[in-house]
Formats: sequence, structure tokens, C-alpha cells
Amino acid sequence: MLYKNYIKMHMKSSFQYRFNMMFVAFNQLLIMVGEILSVYLLFLQFESVAGWTFYESLLMLGVIYTVYSFVEAFARGYDEFPKLVQSGELDRFMIRPVNIHYQIFGSRFEFTKFPRIILGIVVSVIALVNMSVDWNVWKVLVLIATYICGSFVIFGLFLLSAGISIYTVENLEFLNIVTNGSKELAFYPINIYAKWFTRIFTFVIPIACFNYLPLSFIMETGSVPMWLCGVSPLLGMLFVLPCLLFFNLSLRHYKSTGT
Amino acid sequence: MLKNFFCRKYKTIEALKDVSFSIEEGEIVGYIGPNGAGKSTTIKIMSGILTPTSGTCVIDGLVPWQNRKTFVKNIGVVFGQRSQLWWDVPVMDSFELLKDIYKIPTDQFKETLELLNKALNIEDLLGRPLRQLSLGQKMKCELAGSLLHRPKILFLDEPTIGLDAVTKLAVRDFIKFINKEWSTTIILTTHDMNDIEALTNKIILIGKGRILYQGSFENIKDKYSAEKTIEVEFAKDYQKVSLAGYKVVEHNQRFATLKTLPKTQFHTTDFVNQISKKYEVVDFQVSSLSVDEILAKLYNEYEL
Repeated sequence: MLYKNYIKMHMKSSFQYRFNMMFVAFNQLLIMVGEILSVYLLFLQFESVAGWTFYESLLMLGVIYTVYSFVEAFARGYDEFPKLVQSGELDRFMIRPVNIHYQIFGSRFEFTKFPRIILGIVVSVIALVNMSVDWNVWKVLVLIATYICGSFVIFGLFLLSAGISIYTVENLEFLNIVTNGSKELAFYPINIYAKWFTRIFTFVIPIACFNYLPLSFIMETGSVPMWLCGVSPLLGMLFVLPCLLFFNLSLRHYKSTGT
Repeated sequence: MLKNFFCRKYKTIEALKDVSFSIEEGEIVGYIGPNGAGKSTTIKIMSGILTPTSGTCVIDGLVPWQNRKTFVKNIGVVFGQRSQLWWDVPVMDSFELLKDIYKIPTDQFKETLELLNKALNIEDLLGRPLRQLSLGQKMKCELAGSLLHRPKILFLDEPTIGLDAVTKLAVRDFIKFINKEWSTTIILTTHDMNDIEALTNKIILIGKGRILYQGSFENIKDKYSAEKTIEVEFAKDYQKVSLAGYKVVEHNQRFATLKTLPKTQFHTTDFVNQISKKYEVVDFQVSSLSVDEILAKLYNEYEL
């Protein structure tokens, strides 16, 4: 399969820079540990934040780490889309008889993100083990859907910023705020923030759908109806559709850079 | 500068206007014009990379930007300044990936590769990463890579740029060979007029986004090669030199440079008779415009 060969190709070329890769991966792990510590220190001061305990909050951190690193590892091409445009790689994709998205996915693999995915899962497991939950089938399904929803929403944000960069050609810093900023918000259950803020990240960018809404369902708390909390991850996934549409429309406006 | 930051003025620039031409199967067409004339833009439209704001383009029954995936199966593109192959891995790995991308059957792939290997002499390069190859070696591999799927049409955007004389000749021979072997239609842009002279049956001259001339290169050459420059060496110093039908460009004691006037039909015997009546001539040398000069003249004439 072509995708498998793309991966093989990337392994061959990035393993030529083994030391660099290990260094980058290690560096990123250190940053993550720092971020986990800061959440821990916050909860040392306050026993609970907006009614959430440390481990419940930690689960949110685990979720966002897992999904964000996962999307970064596999959809890096969208994250670095301005580079694809500037280097003329996009032109190359256009002259191949393969779907453009398939080629963008195949264009980049960030192997250095894999340790972060693993750490994200480890953090999630530590949190889940220490939370007192009455598990049932629905809760397990909602938990799984949360990770899928998170991946879809983050991928949607990548699509958005890639689409915008077609018009602006350069990588604008404000696009980073959209992607990275959303990530850092989701370190905590986002209903701890101001109400209007929470609303934006529920209805505009549906971070809540893989954050405090499914958490409320699992913990059986909060003011939002339980059934709504349960289906929220499914609704959140829909976010990717308008993003995809926007990207595809933007691509039609693509003006290649000069030679 | 600050003003420019706040209220930017936008001006619509038409990269191409009224560009219309047709190319027959199996032709080698040279697409020429000065920098920024719109050559690359045309190539990008024809290869399905760009969608034009208006106008149409049909190649082999397909509109490139509408049926992109079907269309690009039958074309190969080489951008002289941009690599189509993967940088860090051996060339052969890139070829293998192209085999998957174009879904080339293994037998056909082997056969094509063997043919390309022989014609381009690249067998020894395939095991090396692209980044270790010289410019000429890279270009040879690029050419091979763009032909693995045996496209019906090959677009070459400045294929000989920066190459040494030997490689240039090899690339030219190869282009001719492919055109004969598979009757591939080839469209190439270049600034090297020798490419044009050696390869093309037809040229399209473009400037400021418009077509200025299309037809055989010979026509243009004939038109401009009528102008001759004659360097004459006299037996003694003359105060003044003049000759009916000729313009004296330079005169320095025993040496003079003459140019034919537009209406003069140069004929060697006539010239010898005419000049020897007035002056005592030791030697003379006739030259016509070089291909580059012809092109410079053309650009000048169209005020490009």
C-alpha cells in the first residue's frame, strides 16, 4: 500500500538523523513533564478547581496530550502546510494521480511525537485508575469516543489554519494561537474559565466535547443533561466537516509560488 | 512605508492574456520568452497545478484542472529548479514510490527503467541519496523519474539550466530519443537558444503574458539572419570608408566593420566586386546574428 511506503520512506530519511530525533523527543518529553507538574502544583494549593479533583483534571491533560500528539504525528503536513507551499511540494502533489489529502498525510511523519502519545496514554491511565468511577459500558464507549472526537477537532483546527495559509502564504503567528492555544486551554476541564469563554469553546470550537462534557458524563455531575454529555463527542466530530470544506475551497484559490 | 502598511493598494495583474495555441501529438515545442513572461504559469495551467480565472485548455480530451487525477496519469513534469524526487533517500527508493503512485505494473516498470538506465547512463546513481548527486546527475534522475509511467506529454521547465556542456548535450539527445521512441509530445521552456535550435520543430514566443509569435524557428532565423556583419581589413589606411547598401559601424585606420542595410541582399561575389572597386582589401569575414542575438532583437522589437 502506498501509505505504508510513505512511512517507510520517512523512516529511512529521518533515521539518518537519529541523534537529532532522540534529542527532540527527549526535549518534548521534558516540556510535558513540566506541564504536568504545574497542574499538580495548582492542585496542591486548591483541593479542587471548579469542583474537579486533581485526577479528573489530569485525565483532561492525558486526553489532550494523546490526541494532539497523535494528530501532530500523522497530520503534520497540514501543520506545516505553508512549508509545503513554499517549497513547491504542493505543486508536486498536484501532478500526481493521487488524492491531495492522501499525499499531505503521506508527506510528513513526526516520529518524535510518539513518546508524547505514549506519555499521554500513561497519564490518562494513571488518572483513570485513581478516579472513583462506577464504570459501565456507556461510560467506556464515551471515553473512547472522547479520544476520537479530540483527534477530529484538532485535525479540524489544523485544516483551518492550513486553509488560511493558502491565502496568506506565510505562516502567521495567530494561526498558532488557534492550534496551540486550544491545546493549552484543554489542559484543564474548560468550564473552570469564564462563562462566555467556555461557550466559545463549546459551540464555535467544540473543545468541550472531548473535555468537560464527557468528563461530566463519566463522573455523573454537572448541570448539562446527561444524555447530551454522552453524545457530545459525536457532535464534536462534526466540526471537521466544515473545516474540510473550507480547506478544499481554499485549495482552489491556490496560486503557486514562482520558480 | 507606514502608509503602505495601512492602506495597501492592490492592482490586478494579468499573468496571461489571449494566450491561445494548439500542439500536435509527437511535436517538440519550445516555449520561450524573457523572465516573468508567463512561461511557468502556462506550464502550471497545462499540468493542472493552477486553475485559470477564465479561458479553457483541453489536452488529450481532458481539462487539466477539472479531471486532475485522470489527466496527470498521462503527463510528466520536470521543473529544472525544483526536485520531484525525495531528498534524503536513494534515488531508487524514490522510483519505487513513483511506481506505487502511478500504479505501474512491475514488468513495465522494469522494462522502462532498463531503457532509461541505458539512455541516461544512471545505473550507478540509483543507489545514492539525491542530495549527494551533482546538478547534472540530479537532472538525469529527474528526467528518468518523470518518465517511469511513460507519459504521453512531457513538460520540461528549463531542463538544462545550470548544466555543463557535456550533460546538456546528453540531456538534449535524451529528449530527442524519448520523442522518437515513444512519440512523446514535449513542451519545454528554456533560455538556452541552443536547446531550441537543437530540439524544437516549433516555437511559441511569449512576452508580457501574450503570444508574440508561433511557428517554426527557421522562419525567424531566416528573417534575421539576412542581416550580416562584415569585418574588413584594408591594405592601407583610408580616411573615410563608405559603401552603397552598407552601414559603417566602426572604422579604425585599416580595419572597418560594416553592416548590411535592411534592404541589402548580401551576396559575396557582388560584395567583393563592389568593395574592391573602391578599396584595396586584404581580408574580410562575414558573420550573421547568433541565435541569442536574434532572440534579443526579437525581444527588443516587441519591447519586452
